[in-house]
Amino acid sequence: MPDHTNHGPHVIETRDLTRRYGEITAVDTLNLTVRRGEVYGFLGPNGAGKTTTLRMLLGLIRPTSGGIAVLGSSPGSAGSLARTGAMIETPAFYPHLSGGDNLRVLARYAAVDASRIDLVLDQVRLLDRAGDVFREYSLGMKQRLGVAAALLKDPELLILDEPTNGLDPAGMTEMRALIRELGQGNRTVLLSSHLMHEVEQTCDRAGIIAAGRLVAEGTIDDLLGEDALVVRAEPTLDAMAIARDIAGVRRASLVRGAIRIKTLPGAELDPAYLNARLVGAGVAVRELRLERASLESVFLDLTNPNELPARGDWPGHPDGNDTIHDEEVADVA
Amino acid sequence: MLRSGLYMLWAELFLLRRRVATWVLLGTWTGLGLLFGYIVPYAMYRSDDDEGPSALTGMLPDQLTQTVLDGFPFYGGAIALMLGVLSVGSEFGWDTLKTLFTQGPGRGRIFTAKMVALAIMIVPFAVSIFAFGTVASVIIARMEGITVVWPDSGTVLEGVAAGWLILVVWAAVGVLLAVITRGTSLAIGIGILYTLVIEGSISLLVDTVSFVEPVVDFFLRANSYSLIRPLGGASGASGDSAATDGPGAFSGPYVDTTQALVVLVVYALVLTGMSAWLLRRRDVA
Ligand SMILES: Nc1ncnc2c1ncn2[C@@H]1O[C@H](COP(=O)(O)OP(=O)(O)O)[C@@H](O)[C@H]1O
Ligand SMILES: [Mg+2]
Repeated sequence: MPDHTNHGPHVIETRDLTRRYGEITAVDTLNLTVRRGEVYGFLGPNGAGKTTTLRMLLGLIRPTSGGIAVLGSSPGSAGSLARTGAMIETPAFYPHLSGGDNLRVLARYAAVDASRIDLVLDQVRLLDRAGDVFREYSLGMKQRLGVAAALLKDPELLILDEPTNGLDPAGMTEMRALIRELGQGNRTVLLSSHLMHEVEQTCDRAGIIAAGRLVAEGTIDDLLGEDALVVRAEPTLDAMAIARDIAGVRRASLVRGAIRIKTLPGAELDPAYLNARLVGAGVAVRELRLERASLESVFLDLTNPNELPARGDWPGHPDGNDTIHDEEVADVA
Repeated sequence: MLRSGLYMLWAELFLLRRRVATWVLLGTWTGLGLLFGYIVPYAMYRSDDDEGPSALTGMLPDQLTQTVLDGFPFYGGAIALMLGVLSVGSEFGWDTLKTLFTQGPGRGRIFTAKMVALAIMIVPFAVSIFAFGTVASVIIARMEGITVVWPDSGTVLEGVAAGWLILVVWAAVGVLLAVITRGTSLAIGIGILYTLVIEGSISLLVDTVSFVEPVVDFFLRANSYSLIRPLGGASGASGDSAATDGPGAFSGPYVDTTQALVVLVVYALVLTGMSAWLLRRRDVA
């Protein structure tokens, strides 16, 4: 278990967290750090292991191996749960009870004063529908009730697992605004999502998970990195070798048939110069364009199974010694 | 600790009270009790001119305990089993365990609250049939012009307590099955199958297969019937009761009453303990 106190900077810390289901390794030696007060995005495609990780953080399931500290205590302990609010996957409530009655039951369990019920219902704008039975709520209302329930304890740590899933665009926007609002002040929010722009809009820092592994972690700015040049050219491998030779190029890799070229920080690569070099070497250039940095491109880059990420490339990556070089990547491709 | 425990208990009782199924089961239970204990026997009595007044004995107020208790080990068990299955099994179906288990109190305390609430909820089940039985027997006595002789209150109290214990044990069976199967339907199916096929059929072999008896002595059925026997239930005292010739017919073997009491209490504790152990260590997925 990582050594830190209740008041340390890390609200959540996992060490080599692993969970297997038979042959499937849902979460694989994951090292996650969430700092006090931040809105942390836990980004990954469906099936990446986000929910499995969050369940372990809450003590709902046990890790196969590895350590977890949540608010300085073990996951699922009374000490950590008293200060954590969570909504995992779909919101689950008693279908025959009203939203308000559901919260009344949970408030008793959480030993929270009943006066908080109307407060949190108001916070998620559900107060006027509090008397309706949960079964009859729309999906958006169910999600909002889930958030309200998570807020009952006025928790230091709020864990929300894809809270915008299934919402219409307006509902999504509203939910994201709410999450930002909730993340203000000292409260720490851990938001899982498979939507890059959601994390980009909502979070301060993010970790990217793919196939159970944390492939990048850092501030959104860090993760966004630089713009990239995308080239389609024949023969592709020749083009890639030429691109790699150019000073300032950090990385040239094959992504779905195109070469993506990234430069070292501060270095600029003029598309005209690249084009001239390629054509000069007898390579036919079919497409050359500039790709603006977005978490989306980072995400695709990192989670593309055809191209293993260069581990350690990313600022704050906890796993820097496990580097795969671009050459190896190219060979694989 | 105590205060938060009481809050949790309030929550659990609230959940039980607000379930339609609870009241449907209570209604079914009292309905069956009245039907088998009073309505059917009285209809038979009225339609058969040969029956002497002695056939009325079991339907009169002073025989309340004997008549009412017969239903507990029989359909009472099935009703309580369903109540137990629903109280925990539905939480799996609704996926609400994850919501409860992230509130703070440990799984052990939450489960304890559920079990205490269930045991409390079974009190009205045990009491109601005695209450309705009293009303029915007084009505019959009046209609037949027989002076009402009230039953011994001590016996009635013992009857309520014994009936309550029997229902609690069956509810504990239901809870364990629900936890094992993580749901309701299969749990109810297995539970009913167990009562009818395993306990029911094997009990019938007692007279023919010698090694069966020691096994049957630990069946819920044998111990439940044995517990109520000294109170007059499941015996000839009430004449033609369901226990002697109805579908719930039970002809032994009987065990010692104290032994039955101990066995049933141990059952309730062990079954509940097993459920708690499973619930605490398994994944909530
Ligand atoms: N209870 C389970 N049994 C077997 N496999 C599971 C179970 N839960 C999750 N998995 C598997 O673990 C992987 C990660 O799932 P999950 O954590 O739900 O992903 P995410 O939340 O990122 O979409 C998936 O391959 C999923 O099929
Ligand atoms: Mg998920």
